[in-house]
Amino acid sequence: MSVPSSKKITLILGAELDKLVTLPWTWLTLIGTFIINLLLAAAFTSVGLQGAAGTQSILNIGLASMGYLQAGFLILGILAACSEYTGGQIRTTLTTIPWRGFQLSMKLLALAVITIPAAFIIAASGVLYTFIRMRDTAVGFEINTMIEALAGATGYLTLTALLSAAMGALLRRTTPALVILLGYYFVVSPLTKDFLPGLKKYFPDTVGNYMYMPPSPDEINVLTPLQGTGILMLWTLIFIIVAIVFYRRRDA
Amino acid sequence: MLEINNLVKYRGTQEILSGISFKARPGRVTGFLGPNGAGKSSTLRILLGLDRATSGSALVNGMPFAELHNPLVTIGAALDGSGAHRRRTGRAHLRWMARAAGLSSSRVEEVLEIVGLTKAADKRVGNYSLGMGKRLGMAAALLGDPQILVLDEPVNGLDPEGIRFIRTFLRERAESGNTVLLSSHLIGELAETVDDVVIIKHGKIVADGTLEEVIGNHSNLEEAFFARTSAHAGDAV
Amino acid sequence: MRAFNAELSKLFSLPGIWLAFFIGAIAPAVIAALDSMAQKEEIIAGVSTRLSEVGYIGLALGVQGVIILGVLAVSSEYLTESSESGGGQQITTSLTVVSSRLHLLLAKAGAVTVISILLCIVAIMTTVSATHLVLGEYTPAFEGSKLLGAVWYWTFTALLAFGITVLTKNGIIPLAVLIINTSVVSFSFLLSKVTKLALYLPDRAGTEMFMFTSDRFLSPFTGGLVMFAWVVVLFIAAAIVFHRRDVAS
Repeated sequence: MSVPSSKKITLILGAELDKLVTLPWTWLTLIGTFIINLLLAAAFTSVGLQGAAGTQSILNIGLASMGYLQAGFLILGILAACSEYTGGQIRTTLTTIPWRGFQLSMKLLALAVITIPAAFIIAASGVLYTFIRMRDTAVGFEINTMIEALAGATGYLTLTALLSAAMGALLRRTTPALVILLGYYFVVSPLTKDFLPGLKKYFPDTVGNYMYMPPSPDEINVLTPLQGTGILMLWTLIFIIVAIVFYRRRDA
Repeated sequence: MLEINNLVKYRGTQEILSGISFKARPGRVTGFLGPNGAGKSSTLRILLGLDRATSGSALVNGMPFAELHNPLVTIGAALDGSGAHRRRTGRAHLRWMARAAGLSSSRVEEVLEIVGLTKAADKRVGNYSLGMGKRLGMAAALLGDPQILVLDEPVNGLDPEGIRFIRTFLRERAESGNTVLLSSHLIGELAETVDDVVIIKHGKIVADGTLEEVIGNHSNLEEAFFARTSAHAGDAV
Repeated sequence: MRAFNAELSKLFSLPGIWLAFFIGAIAPAVIAALDSMAQKEEIIAGVSTRLSEVGYIGLALGVQGVIILGVLAVSSEYLTESSESGGGQQITTSLTVVSSRLHLLLAKAGAVTVISILLCIVAIMTTVSATHLVLGEYTPAFEGSKLLGAVWYWTFTALLAFGITVLTKNGIIPLAVLIINTSVVSFSFLLSKVTKLALYLPDRAGTEMFMFTSDRFLSPFTGGLVMFAWVVVLFIAAAIVFHRRDVAS
């Protein structure tokens, strides 16, 4: 395949964006995630308010819901990829855009275009809520730290969505993709924390945590946010490449 | 112009297509006939770049499908079902396709009008009837106003009015110099529409020629079809 | 009875069901083994604070298998994820075969219940063996009543998954909510820090049947009863919605 022209990139990216925004599930997932995140932020804040005044960090509490929040972005990524396989849409897609590697890359790019602002708004809304509720009791923080943490959180959620979209494209079915990813992020990963302390910090979810969590003094060998970002990008890239290789080779 | 050259396809260890070749020429409607499971859809899927051939080639204007510069304006395809996500509206489905091919959104309204879906365009595809899904598939095939049409069972699920529409429409397309390839198992219907006939059975071509040639000394296309595809058929080809 | 047999054979012919069986039979044992390994030294030294939870933790966290089972039993009726199908939903066929919707729902729930019980018994066997393998003679005795509690917990969880999926017609929400909620970072755990009422949530109440001997809130029997009440309420809601809904919508 020749290198696609920039006009073609714009067209296909536009088409993939159209596909995502005209899918009601995209909006349901994003709105649902936004509301649930606010509820969770409220819960974490009221737990935080029970603690001693002056010792709480607004950022820590505002971003405490990230653990749950990632589920929404896992779902978003899986939906973006697996929705192709509903109603035989994949046939239409591939007869319209037969350059498979290019098409999947554009789909992931379109997903990122939607995820970046959505992740930022959702993560920021949680922190904002916590700030409003706790500004009198919590210790202050610098605006720079907050921007860094929010940028990290946005990056983490976006890369997670891309990774799960790659997984979805690989498996083609929503249910197994969802079971495997949720099972890993919520059951397997927390359990293995105690057993593989050395390797564990390089796994895609743990490594991503370093992107937004303020470094805590009691952990040794922590990664810097930049290292975290790099390693998570590597993970995402590996998944995407594997997905593209399979996507190109198999019968649709 | 569509050219199928010595196409072989294995699925697992099973041979689906064993070396089939035929052509669909401009200005003619070519009917692709065969019993269920004979390999019609597999051939069309390989032609459209959806499945990979084990060996042989399927060319569109002398090129593999994936090398076409803008496939939607070269070849329009409607396979089984609507090919659209159930939760999207018909209009949204055509819009993203038009966007990908660089077509204007007024073209979307035109094809909706042609297939008679304008009123249902804002309904979700999941709520469409079988015939409406089929019309949406046709609209998608016509979107780029292509010189070549590939249709899998185009009249399946259509009402009599729809069938007549398809028939006259395809004749008009062919007469203005376009290539039309359609597969079907409705032989009677096909006999009134096609110029050339290709019959496939168990992954092999058993007849290929103009309608008159294939009918030969049988009384009609149906008789000719059964003579070639039933288990005890003589080696009449 | 015929409807029940039909539901069983429908379930067994789903490809996803093998994922459910695999996870259900293996996950609890793996979790229990890992947990036992981590605690082995403390247990041998006799200072473990979580001795009573050894092994059971696998059964508490490993219910994903039956969650998938309960969700798939319903979502497969509505699923159209195939490259070929033009939008055929199995539910239309199911309802023409078994015309009474309540019968269909009961037959399905019955099939889910039976498979859950069997799956939990398998899980108990693998979990107990795995714990014995790791801890050897230090393995605490497994009480029959608590194991029975685990069987109920699994069955009720499967029925909750089933009921929620009838309401949503889609597997994504119940899978996400229930899988997250069985994990160590469950919503219920978070909410229980905000309000004591959260201790009455089905998963928390249900685990009282075989866990939490240290910070018990409800007795095992009450816990089971609370969870059962949740199942009943949800099932009634599901039955009403399923009865009144147009299939196509």
